[in-house]
Amino acid sequence: MREGEFVSIVGPSGCGKTTMLRVINGLMPHSGGQIFLDGKSADDVSNELLMGFVFQGASLLPWRTSLNNVLLGLEGRSNNGQDAEAIAKKFLNLVGLNGFENHYPHELSGGMQQRVNLARALAINPRILLMDEPFAALDAQTRNFMQLELLRIWAETKKTVIFVTHMIAEAVLLSDRVIVFSHRPGTIRSEFDIPIPRPRDMDIKSHPQFLELENKIWKQIEHEVKAAGGFAQL
Amino acid sequence: MAFGLLAWHYVSEVIIKDTAVLVSPWEVLTKAHEMFFVTAELYAHLFASSRIFFYGFLLAVLAGVPIGFAMALSPLIRDYINPWMTTLYTSPRIAFAPVLLLWFGIGEGSKVAIVFLGCVFPVLINSYYGMRVVNREFVELARSFRLGRWPLFFKILLPASVPFILAGIRLAIGRGLTGVAIAEWFGATEGLGYLVFFAGQTLNVPVLFVGVALFAILGILGFEIVRRVEIYLTPWRSEPQGG
Repeated sequence: MREGEFVSIVGPSGCGKTTMLRVINGLMPHSGGQIFLDGKSADDVSNELLMGFVFQGASLLPWRTSLNNVLLGLEGRSNNGQDAEAIAKKFLNLVGLNGFENHYPHELSGGMQQRVNLARALAINPRILLMDEPFAALDAQTRNFMQLELLRIWAETKKTVIFVTHMIAEAVLLSDRVIVFSHRPGTIRSEFDIPIPRPRDMDIKSHPQFLELENKIWKQIEHEVKAAGGFAQL
Repeated sequence: MAFGLLAWHYVSEVIIKDTAVLVSPWEVLTKAHEMFFVTAELYAHLFASSRIFFYGFLLAVLAGVPIGFAMALSPLIRDYINPWMTTLYTSPRIAFAPVLLLWFGIGEGSKVAIVFLGCVFPVLINSYYGMRVVNREFVELARSFRLGRWPLFFKILLPASVPFILAGIRLAIGRGLTGVAIAEWFGATEGLGYLVFFAGQTLNVPVLFVGVALFAILGILGFEIVRRVEIYLTPWRSEPQGG
């Protein structure tokens, strides 16, 4: 992966997309292979805080306000001498939650909770942002807004992002590159560069180039599922 | 509540009309007034009962919460304590009373021990359970932020367990008051349990009802205190249960 690149991973259900993210983040032991970051094995740097993880559920701590949730990763660290609270406020502002600092998660909508989730992952200034189907639980309308928001936030922060999703259109809309995973055991099946110019908006979803890419990726996944025994296996 | 009191009044004044069996709420109030403000004999009983309740309850929380946590965090400790806990929790406490009396003497010690035995298990079991069922995602979150062992405990596990501990404490209040009553039935010379027991023996129905009513009031008071602590400690819960 290149610095500042937005890569999505799509693949049939249960192919291990989420598992791979969790392994990358050191949440799970890996059964073989190596993960490299800046030429160093991820095992050697596993205690450093290099990756921000955006969970599928908001996983916000219900006893903490938005601000304190974002502060969680900053507490007890040097933060390069910056005031932790100022950093947290900056990122809440970035995700559009100005004025909601003192709200508890149960007072926020699903979309807002995912914004806090994103702010919390960004606040630690990670080298890589890992996102595990962050918009899957949202309704279609909110999801569209959040996709646009993510495009804006990514443009502002220029983070390297690995984004796992099962929605092909979402992957094409957001990414520089889409990787298709094969059915179990999950391996890289194919890669697609997405040369659609940025900044992008919802209109590109009806662009012929967009539809062609979406179709190609779908064919690939369909092929994977058939090879694994058909749709009934899903 | 008001309807219940009226019904009680009606039954005692119109249907039963026998003060050896049932007295009206008015008579209970009159008796309570007399015992508080004329003879002033109630204060000693109330004070004695409150004292043993408070000590037994406090010790139960101080012991139950850490033991419950230790069981949740260490399978070894859990396996060691579990059979003891099950045995003690499921046996009738009243059967332990004579044994505790033998061990701790007829003073305050044995009474506090009986109350303790009543309170400790709800607190212990809830603390254990609360920490066991902490959302897996919260633990993963802590790991993704590379939180150490103690920050994980203090920032995730402990706050997540608080509602469960408070629910355990709520249960402990009722069981603790039962413990007070049991404790004061054995070789006590004061306390609400003694008062009720003695009044029952001498068929002094008004005094008996005063004692029972005071137990109820202590219970309500305890619940109210826990409810306020709950609101203070867990403002993030939209609606604290019960109350």
